[in-house]
Amino acid sequence: MKNLFLISLGFLLLFSCTKEEEEYVKIPTNINLKIPSNFPDIVYDLSKNPLTEEGVALGKKLFYEGRLASDGIISCGFCHEQASAFTHHGHTTSHGVDGKTGFRNAQPIQNLAFFSEFTWDGAAIHLDLQPIIPITSDFEMNETIPSVISKLSSYKEYDILFSNAFGDAEVTSERLLKALSQFMVTMISGDSKYDKVVRKEENEAFTVKEEKGFQIFNNTCASCHSGALFTDKSYRNNGIPVNPRFPEEEGRKRVSGFAEDFYKFRVPSLRNTEMSFPYMHDGRFGTLEDVLNFYTDGMVENGSEVDPILRKANGNLGIDLTQEDKENVIAFLKTLTDNTFLNDERFAEF
Amino acid sequence: MKILKYLTAAILAVTIYSCSSNETEILDGEGALTLKFDNAYKTSDLLLKTTPYKANETEQIKISKVKYIVSNVRLETADGTVFTYPKNQSYFIVNEEVISSQFITLNNIPEEDYTKLTFGIGVDQDKYLEGATGQGDFLSLAKDAGMMWSWQAGYKFMVFEGVYTSANTAEETAFAFHMGSHGSALDNYKEVSLDFTNSARVRVDATPEIHIVADVANILQGNTKFMLDDAAQIHVDGVKSPQIATNVNQMFTVDHVHN
Repeated sequence: MKNLFLISLGFLLLFSCTKEEEEYVKIPTNINLKIPSNFPDIVYDLSKNPLTEEGVALGKKLFYEGRLASDGIISCGFCHEQASAFTHHGHTTSHGVDGKTGFRNAQPIQNLAFFSEFTWDGAAIHLDLQPIIPITSDFEMNETIPSVISKLSSYKEYDILFSNAFGDAEVTSERLLKALSQFMVTMISGDSKYDKVVRKEENEAFTVKEEKGFQIFNNTCASCHSGALFTDKSYRNNGIPVNPRFPEEEGRKRVSGFAEDFYKFRVPSLRNTEMSFPYMHDGRFGTLEDVLNFYTDGMVENGSEVDPILRKANGNLGIDLTQEDKENVIAFLKTLTDNTFLNDERFAEF
Repeated sequence: MKILKYLTAAILAVTIYSCSSNETEILDGEGALTLKFDNAYKTSDLLLKTTPYKANETEQIKISKVKYIVSNVRLETADGTVFTYPKNQSYFIVNEEVISSQFITLNNIPEEDYTKLTFGIGVDQDKYLEGATGQGDFLSLAKDAGMMWSWQAGYKFMVFEGVYTSANTAEETAFAFHMGSHGSALDNYKEVSLDFTNSARVRVDATPEIHIVADVANILQGNTKFMLDDAAQIHVDGVKSPQIATNVNQMFTVDHVHN
């Protein structure tokens, strides 16, 4: 009996020895995504790209990495600034390398895990694939994926970051895109005053103006800007006049190829809308007042059928709102500002 | 005496075994198979840039680029057994300018006599929806080969470019047809199934080659006729792109199989 014990002890010792001789591989730390209780389920498939602290850290580094652009300067964060809800502050349309400009207004980067189509026209149908557009577009970052891979491979700091996140230092397009997605998936904005009110947190309550605005919003805006994300994710023609500066602009038609999709754009989320000015696909409106004035007085026939939901009973285009209504709606919209998100150090460049 | 009995039994067994192995081949190994994509213009070999070809009516074209994505290869035997090539390895770009791209070698194919080949032209929606996991290196490959649009995260399934003249267009004018799926709005991925007269006999030590002819004249002159004078540039068109996809789909035939 004693012998048997000694033998087993010996085996255990041997076993633990061999264990220690194995190469040490750091195992990434899994992260559980916290989804606000008033939100729907995410649509991003995390089983194909599990969130880890190291993956998100790499994604953040890449998000603010100028070397993803041909000039070494224009990072994702250049046009997506945190303080402006990750939009390009003060720019109607964003500019990329060599001062070239595009014809679209940079959209906020928030709650993307809840979406399956991206950009104003649905040009990307998976979050992982979206960054390919700005990285390779000649008026945005003007790079190629192979060139980005070879640049990143030459920096020691990325050896460590890729190894930590994916087990070894190899830089591939798959890993690059997955890391960016991991970072973006964590960028959830769901802690605004509105959220606290609907979740009945911290005794938060709307002011009288905000409450009135909320009622008007529900009656006149929420058919398109619906649910916790404040968008029904559809593409609609809202009767915005054609912008003569950008004759190439066709809206959703550019992606679908269908004439009836001319000048249809994605219904944008309204979260953090106070901070994400300017507004519309080309950033033509500087203030929320401009936007509401457009909906009451500025809609026109623009080359394809304007969404019938925006037509009044008498056949005219537009939404009826009094000046007081507009002020109340704007007061409500400002309750969608999420200062926790806008100041969250997890997403900050520095 | 007993020994003799055993010996007889053994000899008998060996004899039976050798007989049976002569009658039916045991196919349990794996071999390779080559798909050869041979682009043609009607009955002639396709020559880029230099040679004018007759298209519809008075239109004459010189072709500068023919590229397409071949994907999701499946092989079938006469008795209906299907072998699906592993999906994550089953995306290829055939480019008339790159001879090596016209020979697609498939490895680890079960030994069989195959009589039918199925493949897709382009990238199926399932592959898109796998995100970065599904694209792997094909993303870089396609980008390098000019088979992705720069303004949308999507693949061009087919690129057909050149110049043309006609009774109405005296000066050589550029034409370009780029066909792919349109985001979530329109799926233009289509599959082609081709039967062959003699089977492709895949064996451990025998790599058959399926010689596929792609008659690119069919792009303009197939099921739908495309007049370049009407539209010389077709990139994302909700009506015409699916028609182009059908024309492309119907341009393939198996000419012969080398065993």
